[in-house]
Amino acid sequence: MFHRNDENGLTREIQDYLDRETQRNIDRGMNPEDARRAARRKLGPSARVLEDTRAAAHGRLFTWFEMLLRDIRHGLRMFAANPSFTLTAILSLAFGTGANVAMFSAADALLLRPLPVPHPREIVNLGVEFSTPDFTLLRASYPDYVDFRDQNRSFKGLLASTSITAGFAAEPGASAQVMPAMAVSGNFFDVLQIRPALGRGFRPEEDQVRGRDPVVVLSDTLWRDLGADPKILGRAVRIAGIGFTVIGVAPESFTIADCAFYIPLAMWPTITGQPNLLDSRAALSLTVKGRLKPGVSLASAQAEIETIAQNLRRAHPETNRSTRFTLKTELEMAIVSNHVYTALSGILGILAIAVFIVACANVAGLLTSRAPLRAREIALRLAIGARRGRLIRQLLTESSLIALAGALLGLPLAYAGIQWMRRIHYPTDLVTVPRIELDQRALAFSILIAMSSVILFGLIPAIQTTRTNLAAAFKSGAGVETGKRRLWGRNLLVAIQVAFSLLLLTLATFAYRAFTGELTGAAPFRTTHLAMLSLDPKLLRYSDADTLRLYQTLTQRASSIPRLQSLALGSAVPIGRVIPAVVNPEGFALPRNQPYATVYTSAVDEHYFDTLAIPILRGRGFATTDASGAPAVAIVNETFASRYWPAQDPIGKRILVNGVEWVTVVGVARNSRYLFVTEPPMGFLYLPYRQLPAAAMTVFAATSGDSTALLAPLRKLVQQIDPNMPIYDAQTMEHYYDARAVSVAHVITQIIGAMGLMGLAMAMVGLYALMSYSVSRLTREIGIRMAVGADRSNVMQMIARQGMLPVLIGIAAGLALSAATGRSLHAAFPLRYTYGPETYLLIIPLLLSIALLAAFLPARRASLVDPMTALREE
Amino acid sequence: MSTGPRQNLAAKDRIDLLQGTLDMLILRTLLFGPAHGHTIAHSIESGSDEVLQVEHGSLYPALHRLVRQGLLSAKDGLSENNRKAKFYSLTAKGRRHLMRESNKWDRLSAAIGRIMRPTES
Repeated sequence: MFHRNDENGLTREIQDYLDRETQRNIDRGMNPEDARRAARRKLGPSARVLEDTRAAAHGRLFTWFEMLLRDIRHGLRMFAANPSFTLTAILSLAFGTGANVAMFSAADALLLRPLPVPHPREIVNLGVEFSTPDFTLLRASYPDYVDFRDQNRSFKGLLASTSITAGFAAEPGASAQVMPAMAVSGNFFDVLQIRPALGRGFRPEEDQVRGRDPVVVLSDTLWRDLGADPKILGRAVRIAGIGFTVIGVAPESFTIADCAFYIPLAMWPTITGQPNLLDSRAALSLTVKGRLKPGVSLASAQAEIETIAQNLRRAHPETNRSTRFTLKTELEMAIVSNHVYTALSGILGILAIAVFIVACANVAGLLTSRAPLRAREIALRLAIGARRGRLIRQLLTESSLIALAGALLGLPLAYAGIQWMRRIHYPTDLVTVPRIELDQRALAFSILIAMSSVILFGLIPAIQTTRTNLAAAFKSGAGVETGKRRLWGRNLLVAIQVAFSLLLLTLATFAYRAFTGELTGAAPFRTTHLAMLSLDPKLLRYSDADTLRLYQTLTQRASSIPRLQSLALGSAVPIGRVIPAVVNPEGFALPRNQPYATVYTSAVDEHYFDTLAIPILRGRGFATTDASGAPAVAIVNETFASRYWPAQDPIGKRILVNGVEWVTVVGVARNSRYLFVTEPPMGFLYLPYRQLPAAAMTVFAATSGDSTALLAPLRKLVQQIDPNMPIYDAQTMEHYYDARAVSVAHVITQIIGAMGLMGLAMAMVGLYALMSYSVSRLTREIGIRMAVGADRSNVMQMIARQGMLPVLIGIAAGLALSAATGRSLHAAFPLRYTYGPETYLLIIPLLLSIALLAAFLPARRASLVDPMTALREE
Repeated sequence: MSTGPRQNLAAKDRIDLLQGTLDMLILRTLLFGPAHGHTIAHSIESGSDEVLQVEHGSLYPALHRLVRQGLLSAKDGLSENNRKAKFYSLTAKGRRHLMRESNKWDRLSAAIGRIMRPTES
């Protein structure tokens, strides 16, 4: 470093002074030893002289940096001399910061991050609330939307949108590709304040007349897929076989999940071939978002919405009699729109915070346990004249070095965690792409907390030591331990450490068991020897009769495929696509403000239950005779039956579906999983597809052999029936289940397991350091007791009493903490699992034995030493 | 205990140096030629008949400060007993500074003297 020369010169100069002064004193007749002592006294504390002279020679700022460098050098030397301490502290902080940043980034992507539009906080959602235990949706009909849009004064604008699927051909002759897209109101881009990257957005008049304006705005993704042609505006493309003109390209910043392009809402009936799609007030098919005017509160907007809804109820009693419109912010929507991942984010978040607290407590413990070692060094330096502020500054620098190193190492860990979590495919209805990015606020926050905890605990010993009297510090090798207060602080630290370790470990064990339980248990439906592909005849504008005929032909001809056991149709796919419906189960009194219950449904054929191995527990399955004209029937699952008709026979009960049709229950199917592997049991309604032809269907084919071998013949079969029929999602169930269920659960269990292990490792190290330190503080007492005749067992008892008390208190606090967390988790999220007592039976003995071991080893060492040595050592 | 010259004087008669005054005294001492730290400290003490007490520890910061301000220059040289030592000498700037300071000091001490002993002036 710099001025090494200068530094030597300065030391030499001081030495020169001392020599001369000594000589002078000798010349006056003093003996050499007295002469040297007098010279030193005359000069004053040499450390301070050196320091002051340095400061005078170089100026303040220069000295400040010089001192910083000196402190850093000193700190690095200290770290190199204590590698295990340094490594443990840095790794603890790295784990804590990394886990915290990764989890917060995930939560941010899933829940907190607003829409990628200007002033996202002004955006709110409007609609009728559909609530199930698993998700909440807000939906509105087109006529209601138009009334709200035109009558309100709270919003700058209200937009409506719906997700669609349509075949897209880049040029008239090309073959169409099925793509997810959105039909949006004419003011969509204006309300969101999105300026297209190329061309323009829709004009309000472009959603006025049905079918008049075939214009399309491409997403940035699709535009790039088509070759990123800057002259694409005006190009003719075909959507669902209809010619459209490209008028714009959305900016890259506004990328919406599963949306390749945007068309005006008025074109939606045209491309689906259902001319009255937007006419019914009963068809709650649109998502409505609005931008609040500045200064308008959510409450006053809600009040205005209520007034308009009141008028609608009066004007259209047949459809709006019992509808209630609510407003929800984007964040509220994100939280309620999928409880499963809110629960997941919640659990992972709590785990990450617990890891972080344990990490900080860990480092605090390590620093505290090292305090007496430092005390001696500090006392020495105080004695040669170093100033208190200077020493505190040095300790601060060292602490900051640890915190900084921990945080820096935490960064790659956070990145690794984020990469890991990106593998989770969340079953989400979110509009925006939940892409997890490293969150800088989380990083800053974590570093800040880590820094302050390290600095706080690094400083406490410094301040206490620098305040003590030097003589005492020198006499006792282990430092300047006195007073109940300090013992208290350390015991508190032990208790906190134990409590949060317990919380972390119970949560991790609980979550781990919840997810692995799902994986090791058999899936409640067939997941092997099954192939599937999806068709949507509506894309070719098939009529209902044509659709039915297509599926019938397909079912009949499929028997020619070798090794095919059975073929089934279903409109929903397990652990994936589901179709919600509103129902009124007969004889069940819904809560007063809830006009109907929402459940998931699937339209299935008569082979569905056999093919997917979902047994019918009571009553019968569907039959070919359950066709249009025959009495409308339905099959419910166990949860549906027990929720709405507890202790009653569900067979023969009736259900009003979507407010229009009564169906009679003819059977009860075993519960399956519909959305997510760890979902709680949920009600489900099966309807015969012949009575409710759903256009888009997934074909499930079971085989005795390899399911991959079925895919090609199935495709060929569909193409023989209609060469133009688009096929999508052709895959084996093995592949699908692995991607949607197994790997997701694996990633989650890995994350939880990793956090649990990190927590366990840190708890062990931290607890050991603190405990053994606490007990080593008792060495003198042990010595005295042994000297006055106590035997080893007495000593051990004393240690057990004093050392283990904070551990026991911590365990009690941890039990209370984890019970409370468990309860609030259950209250907030419908999880099926509870902590079993076996979780505690595993964890409490573990923590106790670590603590006992940590107390026992130093106690044993202390009790083995000769009492006199122990006393002298103190 | 040592019997340094300091002990010859009753503690109440000693005067601690005012801030800034030490600088002036150092410059004044070096007017006669280069000297090293130890000599400077003792010249100030003996020159004032032991009335002024220099905290020797504070001498070195003062010397280095003056070097930084360009009022002194420091040079490594050999001392009388052939040891390496640092010699300080007055620069031209230091000389001018000393003139100014001693003028100021004269005016100040005269003014204070008039107030303290009005009859003697």
